Amino acid sequence: MNEFIEQRVSLTWQQPKKSYDVVIIGGGGHGLAAAYYLATRHGITNVAVLERSYIGGGNSGRNTTIIRSNYGIPEAVRFYQRSVDLYATLEAETDRWVMHKEKGMIGLAHSEANMRVEKARAAVNTAFGAKTDWIGPDEVKKMCPELDMTGGGHYPVVGAAYHHSGATARHDRVVWAFAEGAMKRGAHVHQRIEVTGLQIAGNRVTGVQTTQGDIAAGAVLCAVGGHVTSVAAMAGLRLPIRTHQLQAFVTNHYERTFAPILSSGPLLFYVSQTARGEMLMGAEIDRQPSYSYRSDYKFLQGCAFRAVTLLPFLRNLQVLRQWTGVCDMSPDYSPIMGQTGVEGFYITTGWGTWGFKAIPASGEQLAAAISTGKTPDLIAPFSLDRFALDRTMADRGSAGTH
Amino acid sequence: MTESSQPLKLIIDGQPVPFVKGDSVLVAMLRNQHHPTGGGCLCLGGDCPHCLATIDGVAYVRTCQVPARPGCVVACTHHAHAVPALPQTHHVEPTTNARHQHADVVVIGQGKSGLAAAELARTAGQTVVTLDAAQGQDVIGIYPGAQVVARTTQGMLIVHVRQEIIVATGAAELHPVALGNSLAGLMTARAAQQLQAAGLSLGRIVVINDANRLVRFEGESNVTAVVVRDDQGLEQHVGCDTAVIDLGTTPRNMLHRMAAGLPGVRVSVVGDAATNSDVPNCPAHGLVCHCSQVGVADLQSVWDRGFHELELVKRASLAGTGTCQGGVCLPYVRSFLANKGGTLQPAFTARPLARPITMGEVAAGGHHHVTLRTPLDGVHRAAHAHMERAGGWWRPWNYGDWQAEYWAVREAVSIMDVSTLGKMLISGPDALTLLDRLYPTKVSTIKTGMSRYVLLLDEKGYVLDDGLISKISDTRYTLTFTSGGATTAELWVRDWAESWGLNVRILNQTMSLGAINVTGPLAKELLARAGLEKPPEFLSHVEAHVAGIPCRIFRLSFTGELSYELHHAAVNAPVLWRTLLDLGKSLNIRPHGLEALLKLRLEKGHIIVGQDTDFDSTPRRIHHEWAVKLDKPDFVGKHAVLRTNKVSLDKILCGLSMEGPPPIEGANLTVDGNYAGYVTSATWSPILGKTVMLAWLKLSNDLAPDRVMIDGRPAQRTETPFYDKEGARAKA
Repeated sequence: MNEFIEQRVSLTWQQPKKSYDVVIIGGGGHGLAAAYYLATRHGITNVAVLERSYIGGGNSGRNTTIIRSNYGIPEAVRFYQRSVDLYATLEAETDRWVMHKEKGMIGLAHSEANMRVEKARAAVNTAFGAKTDWIGPDEVKKMCPELDMTGGGHYPVVGAAYHHSGATARHDRVVWAFAEGAMKRGAHVHQRIEVTGLQIAGNRVTGVQTTQGDIAAGAVLCAVGGHVTSVAAMAGLRLPIRTHQLQAFVTNHYERTFAPILSSGPLLFYVSQTARGEMLMGAEIDRQPSYSYRSDYKFLQGCAFRAVTLLPFLRNLQVLRQWTGVCDMSPDYSPIMGQTGVEGFYITTGWGTWGFKAIPASGEQLAAAISTGKTPDLIAPFSLDRFALDRTMADRGSAGTH
Repeated sequence: MTESSQPLKLIIDGQPVPFVKGDSVLVAMLRNQHHPTGGGCLCLGGDCPHCLATIDGVAYVRTCQVPARPGCVVACTHHAHAVPALPQTHHVEPTTNARHQHADVVVIGQGKSGLAAAELARTAGQTVVTLDAAQGQDVIGIYPGAQVVARTTQGMLIVHVRQEIIVATGAAELHPVALGNSLAGLMTARAAQQLQAAGLSLGRIVVINDANRLVRFEGESNVTAVVVRDDQGLEQHVGCDTAVIDLGTTPRNMLHRMAAGLPGVRVSVVGDAATNSDVPNCPAHGLVCHCSQVGVADLQSVWDRGFHELELVKRASLAGTGTCQGGVCLPYVRSFLANKGGTLQPAFTARPLARPITMGEVAAGGHHHVTLRTPLDGVHRAAHAHMERAGGWWRPWNYGDWQAEYWAVREAVSIMDVSTLGKMLISGPDALTLLDRLYPTKVSTIKTGMSRYVLLLDEKGYVLDDGLISKISDTRYTLTFTSGGATTAELWVRDWAESWGLNVRILNQTMSLGAINVTGPLAKELLARAGLEKPPEFLSHVEAHVAGIPCRIFRLSFTGELSYELHHAAVNAPVLWRTLLDLGKSLNIRPHGLEALLKLRLEKGHIIVGQDTDFDSTPRRIHHEWAVKLDKPDFVGKHAVLRTNKVSLDKILCGLSMEGPPPIEGANLTVDGNYAGYVTSATWSPILGKTVMLAWLKLSNDLAPDRVMIDGRPAQRTETPFYDKEGARAKA
């Protein structure tokens, strides 16, 4: 018996109805969290989540499970800090084990220019509730004795921004905790139903067309990853989104002794050890836009090379598996949440490489927006119309690697 | 006694143990009554996790696949499926190499059908690469390209395939799923044959060839009996030392599943790997997945709680997520789900790696992002410059005394290596058309021999880069870009030239030209000493010799002082640099690095795109409206600028000054305790005796506050430039 086998979550499946108060397109973390918070915070349970494949099978199951709030602008720091806080209490709230663990995150600097960026990040983080300290090389070495402080002779470690509340959680477990919580309260989750069109009367969405017939809806939330531009186009919306690949890999399981989340911007590399003991690593998005889920060897080779430069002990670890997700990138590297200009049609997208860490806050805030018809303050800056209104939210802190 | 007559020995858990030539590590261990993991059905085919051990510091090695070598060190770290520790040693191995090869056809597996497929392809005149695990060539993955990547005894091999990938990997034998299936003494029929051929005694053997009759295995650690059901349905105990499992095979088709659908190449599967064998009967008891220790009861448990899709069952039960990647358990998990749900679900996604290999092996052939070096790199290092990475280049940060460097610029003369600037030559009949569409300035009004500072916008109206356009003739222009932005800018220029189908030639001269900036009030005097009699006027350029070296000399200023930028063939850079330093000795010349330059330019309020601008910086926000001519018919970004100009400004880049030392770059601004923006650049100005800064400042009610607080200290909004407002020194 393996202690990591899921032993508590119970999923209950229903037959689809002809009509719901709210239909959520996309059964990933964001869609299921929205259903969960609609039910738990607003008592709205006549809700269906439609998933074309299986729940959590898209980016929710392909990310590197890092939770953090050390972004570059106050609006983002506040938003992600809300998510960090919701994650911290998720296990108590749902009575489910999502393997949440606060580890602290070390953002390494290797040069004067890096140091400047990391110190700036620490300043804005700390001012808005995401405690981040600048630490010197000695302290870095103490926190991560495995580091080669010379960076293989090429990337000397000159210090780091230490983000105290950096954490990880098991991605699948998060998806299931929200799915179960929503289902228990009456929400429906339907797998293998694909939305093929939207029903729109005047300027108002009235339902969705699916591979299993039409479903009427009072409100529709688009919470898909990857093909979000296609779904938005069904409502006549053109989104400022480009989709890029992001790859990752894990090693076999080892005893859990690697404590922190470690990240190096210049080396385009970050790593943490999972609850099961795998070393989990990733890099940056591919420059070329793509919807492909195929991994490539060049990524693996390059990322492994950079990894062993910083952490020589990784050389002897066996790589188990690599995979690919797709990232929806907005022009200002900030997410897009809320109303769309088509009445009743809400969106949550632009999750780039930071979607997993946003799941609870995005779900909570979208649920509030849908149930009240008003956009909550926390996400008001992230509305779609900011591009037309020139109220963009450039976030250099987001443009990092994960 | 000669050395060759010494018995061959390897080290198992610290003890020397003899082996026979030709043994794998596993066979050597079994020969000496060691079982690497303590139990489970051995296959000797590399398919299962039952023979894992740590060999020479690498855990998770399938010992059946590794030839025994004298002195090789084996540790049974996987005994009873224990989890090995992370390696502590920082042992740096010699990096293995990675070779590339090209072929029409790759055949994976050299059994009967693989040999035949390779022969057929060769006969048809195709170039063929064959890869066979039995010969030490483990294919780890098939990737887009198409590339087949293998670990070989000579390092990593990446085969680029032109036409076809043929998977001939055969079939793996089914493992038994029943109570007691993790005892020692269980092995597949092929494994038993191999061990007998190697001369091992298997004792009393029971062969199990009907899964329906198998009830359980019994024993303490080694199997002592198999319980089977006879024709009457009664349980029979059969005593044995070895249970030989002969339950048929399952196709080894992981690589085929991984490759299926790859664009640009044919993928086929032949021989036993192609058989579409039915899944085995649904098991009732026992371990299904040994890697993750998942039993039939666990599958039942997750099924009962609503996990029905194979991919969900895999993630909830963890069956198939261990080191054999479902090699042993997948047929049984599918069979279990078919039994429960009535339909046989397709196998889960096959992802690389097909065989685990170490990160050290994977890293072979990898390299760091190249940090570029200017033609003067060696000169700077010889002068003991403190070098830093900046914008993708190695650049001198200082030469030991930034203050002296700073004052040399302000009061005498100095030189700086600016070869890192992006440099591009645009020529051809459509050169003007291209630039006029691309840039928001009226390129047509730049006169021959003149230069102009320009912004480059993207189609969203955001600042992409800045630089200089210089007109050489009606059909020839040179462009410069920032050091860090040049690569993106080049893609940008080429992409538009291509899209518009223009008749231009685009030559990237960044690496072929060196550039030295001569700056300071005595710059003209220095150049006169170097033989330049008629230096160009402000914002013009000439071709002339400096110290005997042909140069194009641009007159512009980033430091705020009289400046001449000398572009020249890269090969001449060191001579030109040394000559200028020699000629300037009596003028108290000294070179300056980036540290001094960042201060000098900030005193002038000059922005650095990428440091002071952000992804969403419009010309209006950074006070560069003058660089955008909206009465032009069109340019990239014009529509976006027209649109955003209609709404009120929300933030601006502005100058700030304060008493006392500079805050960190990135420090927050507050107004009445509320966040109001952040500092992008800050420095103590030696000549002004105060701190000067650039910062993003939020407007409230369309107004920019005059005073802000930074780290508890007041700062004043200040018009830029901070120094020499009229620009008299630069234009001198």
